[in-house]
Amino acid sequence: MEEGGGKEDESAGTTAAAFSDAAAVRTWLDGLREQWGEEPRDMADRIDVLQRFSAFVERGPDTIIAECSREVEGGKRIRIKKRRFYSDKIDEFQASVVGDARTQARAANVVRSFMIHNGIFMQGGVGGGG
Amino acid sequence: MEFKEVVGRRRSIRFFEPDKPVEREKIQVILETARLASCAVNAHWLRAIVVDRDKIPPDKLNQLKTPVAALTLDLAPVHIYFFCDLGVVKRIKGSRLRELVDAGALAPTHGWSHKFVDEFVYPQILEPMTNNLQGYLAAAMADCGGAAQNALLAAFDEGLGACLNTPNPVLTKQVFGVPDDWVSLWVMLVGYPAESWEAGGQRPRPPFEELYFEGDIKTPFRRDDGVVEKLKAAGMITRPAPLPERRQEIMRLAERLNLPT
Repeated sequence: MEEGGGKEDESAGTTAAAFSDAAAVRTWLDGLREQWGEEPRDMADRIDVLQRFSAFVERGPDTIIAECSREVEGGKRIRIKKRRFYSDKIDEFQASVVGDARTQARAANVVRSFMIHNGIFMQGGVGGGG
Repeated sequence: MEFKEVVGRRRSIRFFEPDKPVEREKIQVILETARLASCAVNAHWLRAIVVDRDKIPPDKLNQLKTPVAALTLDLAPVHIYFFCDLGVVKRIKGSRLRELVDAGALAPTHGWSHKFVDEFVYPQILEPMTNNLQGYLAAAMADCGGAAQNALLAAFDEGLGACLNTPNPVLTKQVFGVPDDWVSLWVMLVGYPAESWEAGGQRPRPPFEELYFEGDIKTPFRRDDGVVEKLKAAGMITRPAPLPERRQEIMRLAERLNLPT
C-alpha cells in the first residue's frame, strides 16, 4: 500500500464467517436488506468479492471505512484523499478481476456498494468504471 | 403535452439513456423557452453554454464532475451550463426598458416614459442596485432561476428528461473561460430517460398549508379538494413517491447500466 496510515484490523484475511461479522460488513448487509427489502440472493458471492478486495488493499473492512472518515465536532467528515485513494484502488481491483468487462465492473460495484452503505459516497462511471 | 401535464411529469431524472443522442432542435426549443421567461427590467441575466458530452475533451469533462454528479454527467448526453451575467445591466443601461416602452408593454397609463427610464430608473435605481452586490446577485439569480425552470419544463415537454445540478463554480468558469462577471449557476443535464416517466413517483412535498398563506402568515391558504381532484385529472398531481415498483426499477437500471446497489 502506497498510502497507509490505518492499522490493519483482524478481519483482513480471515474466514468468511469472521469477515462477515465485521461491523462494516454487517452495516453493509443491513443497508442492502433495508434498501431492497430482502438480502440479495448472491450475497455469499458479494462477500467473497469484498473479502478479495480487502486482501487486495491489505486492510480489513472496518479499517477501510474508518480510514475514509474522521470524527469532528458536530459529526463525521469524509476524508477526501482517502476516499479518492480507495476509489482508485477499486479501479485497480476491477482491472485485476478475471473475467469479461461486465464481470470486472460488477466486482467493483460490489465494493462501491459496501462503501456506499457505510456512508462513504461513491459513484462509478457508466459501465462501472471509475 | 398540456401545461399541467408537463408540470406533473417533471422529475429530476438521474438515469439517462447514455447512448441515445438528443436532437439539436430540441435543445434549441429548451433555450428558446428560457429566453421567453419573465425577467425584471427585461435585463436577461441568464447565459447558457451547451455541451455535447461526447465532444468535450475528457480532461475537461472530468474537471466538471463533482463527486455527487459524476455519474449523471456520464449518463446524460447533453449538459447545459447556466451562468448569470452580472454585467448586463451596466452594459444595456436601461435600453431594454426603453424597448418595453416602445412595445407598449410599459405604457403611460402606468406612469412609464423614455424620460422616466433615462433620468430616473436607470441612474437612480438600476445602476446603484448593481453596486450592492448581495441584493443585486439575489435579484439577478432569482430571474435566472425562472428562466432555468422554463428550460426544465421545455425539456419534459419535448419528451426528454432533465435534472439541475450545481457544478463547481470555480472550475466551471475556468473550463469555459467565461467573463469575470459571469456567475456559474447550474448545469442542466439532458437526455432521454432510462427510467419510466414516473421515476418512482411525484416527489414528497411539504404540506400545502405550510407553504402558502392568505392575508397574513397565520392563515394558511385553504386547499380545496375539488381543485386537487381537477389537477389529478389533468395529470398535474400524479401518483406520489414511493411507488411500490420503484425498487425493482432501480435494480433493473443498475443491472442494465452496471451500477452499484
